[in-house]
Amino acid sequence: MFSLEGITNTVHEWLNNHFSPTLALLTEFVLVGVAAIALFALLGLGLVWMERKVAAVMQIRLGPNRVGPKGIFQTTADTLKLIMKEGLTPDGADKFLFNLAPYIVMIVAMLILAPIAFAKNFQIWDINIGVLYLSAVSSLSVIGVLMAGWASNNKYSLLGAMRSGAQIVSYELSAGLSVISIVVMTGSLSINDIILSQQNGWWIFKGHIPAFISFVIFIIAVTAETNRAPFDLAEAESELTAGFHTEYSGMKFALFFLAEYINIFIVCAIGATLFFGGWMPLHIGHWEGFNHVMDYIPSSIWFFGKTIGLIFLIMWFRWTFPRLRIDQLLNLEWKYLLPISMFNLILMTIVAIMGWHF
Amino acid sequence: MFIKDYIKDVYGAVKSLLTGMRMTGYYFTHHKEIITEQYPDNRATLHLAERFRGEVVMSHDENNEHACTGCSACEIACPNGTIKIINKFDITPEGKKKKAIDTFVYHLELCTMCNLCVQACPTDAIKMAQNFEHSVYDRSKLTKKLNKDGSKLREGIE
Amino acid sequence: MNASVIIFYIIAAFILGAGILAVTTRKIFRSAIWLLFSLIGIASLYFWMQVEFVAAVQIVVYVGGIVVLIIFSIFLTQKSGDEMPKPLKNRSIFSALAVLFGFAFTFNLIKQYGFKQIESTPFEVKVSDIGNQMLSTTEHGFVLPFEVVSILLLAAMIGCIVIAMKVKHNEQ
Repeated sequence: MFSLEGITNTVHEWLNNHFSPTLALLTEFVLVGVAAIALFALLGLGLVWMERKVAAVMQIRLGPNRVGPKGIFQTTADTLKLIMKEGLTPDGADKFLFNLAPYIVMIVAMLILAPIAFAKNFQIWDINIGVLYLSAVSSLSVIGVLMAGWASNNKYSLLGAMRSGAQIVSYELSAGLSVISIVVMTGSLSINDIILSQQNGWWIFKGHIPAFISFVIFIIAVTAETNRAPFDLAEAESELTAGFHTEYSGMKFALFFLAEYINIFIVCAIGATLFFGGWMPLHIGHWEGFNHVMDYIPSSIWFFGKTIGLIFLIMWFRWTFPRLRIDQLLNLEWKYLLPISMFNLILMTIVAIMGWHF
Repeated sequence: MFIKDYIKDVYGAVKSLLTGMRMTGYYFTHHKEIITEQYPDNRATLHLAERFRGEVVMSHDENNEHACTGCSACEIACPNGTIKIINKFDITPEGKKKKAIDTFVYHLELCTMCNLCVQACPTDAIKMAQNFEHSVYDRSKLTKKLNKDGSKLREGIE
Repeated sequence: MNASVIIFYIIAAFILGAGILAVTTRKIFRSAIWLLFSLIGIASLYFWMQVEFVAAVQIVVYVGGIVVLIIFSIFLTQKSGDEMPKPLKNRSIFSALAVLFGFAFTFNLIKQYGFKQIESTPFEVKVSDIGNQMLSTTEHGFVLPFEVVSILLLAAMIGCIVIAMKVKHNEQ
């Protein structure tokens, strides 16, 4: 069966055999860029369709079902529509920043993609501080939102941007702490090491209750960080029309829309890597036979399966829970998630030191 | 005690969230619950809600008789002048004059389907029908006469 | 001149260009954004030097923390969207002179230092080493500065809470 394993090595060797190292490196950059953009486009189309279908079925509706079988080409049609639309820039806007903001958001999303392992030996950049890099770069995404909100010269946009800023800055803390609790277990920040440490079982099973608690906190915090319901105060349509992207139209709006889904994919990929072993197949301790059977499923399928499972979980949240008020949002973070995750980190450290995990 | 309340809070929150998720999860796995009608495709088998109100009709039985006495209660009840009742006087076999309905004029274009006329009717002569495909090319077609030609009041209704 | 050197010059030009724009632009929000780009450029310079830890910390602290705070305070300022008046001629002349003098001073110092060309071995520091050094009590350990900074931050945090706290009035 097709798998992404080892493709990178083949390409790398072939390029280095045929061209000079500099040229080979440049070609690799271009290839990675094209691959990332293609992945983004596919993810955007696929996830928007998935979201609409999930939303529909959860609300006892049918969802898109006219364009193509089960409405699968609906998002393609929408994208075509968005491309044809006029990209309007308001008169009083700071035109340079207004036009720059959607690209910043997209570039940040692309940068976060770098250390994620999509399959065995299929990773753009195995950086030794992988997890720290992820949390550092993901803190940049707030800049694009703030920029868009300010440059629109619109009160709704500005309010949305400020809410989003406050939200991302505060929820980063508990997301970071829950990530750290896994780092405590593995003793390494590198994504590759974290995945390899789950060879005999995923952390969510190996780490007992603390790992589960930190997984729950992680999911809540990243839902807030990606500005999704029930934490979508930044674009609460009943209060702020569309929040920070009120003034955007056409392709620039599409970029914001795409970035939302890319970010969901990325945070779910991180969650899958940390708690569910990334591309690592389901292994249980020393059950050799069982582990061998599981190894027959390609690693890329494991990775994408887990990620899409987590994405489904986040969509499930969105179509179940009502939106929080801003004070409830901050209460949840500072009075509940943060103390619990700190306490949980201590528990995790005790488990790691005593070696109680499997 | 503070810690006890805190834990109770967290427990209650998690429990209520899970209850909500169980509901949506149930709908997600049970596709039979879907209530969407794909209207132009399933015109033949369309299922409308029981209390859907499409237009006001007057029910006639097999003898072309209706129950409308021409009391004008519906006309008075109507908030926007949709109904206009024109009465005539029949001569009964005994030679007495008796008030009866000549034309029940119903302006569909003015009607908001508020159901007040049906509630006001003392003899249950009119009711709400479920037909909703009302579009026509000429506005005058929306002014309807509800009592059929040659129909008369059913016996025994005063 | 190989690709690495070219990349270095591109990054350096980006940092300097963004820095100059940050001080010359007359819109305060744009100024903050240029500062942000300049700081990101410095982080990318660290990445170029393959000291990823410092680069990531640069992004976390400066870009994700300080610039976001600056932007927030700009949002909360009145008339922050207006263009600022043109600086006085005297002032710009003096500031240009000061910049020139500072540049000459540092350039002189750097030139006199005479950097030694060392055989470049891969400069790799494990994060665990950094952590151990941070908490070690040996001669070159950083446990004292680390703890002092922690106390300072704790004091700042408590101060913030005290300022933000609602005082309950017990009337009667």
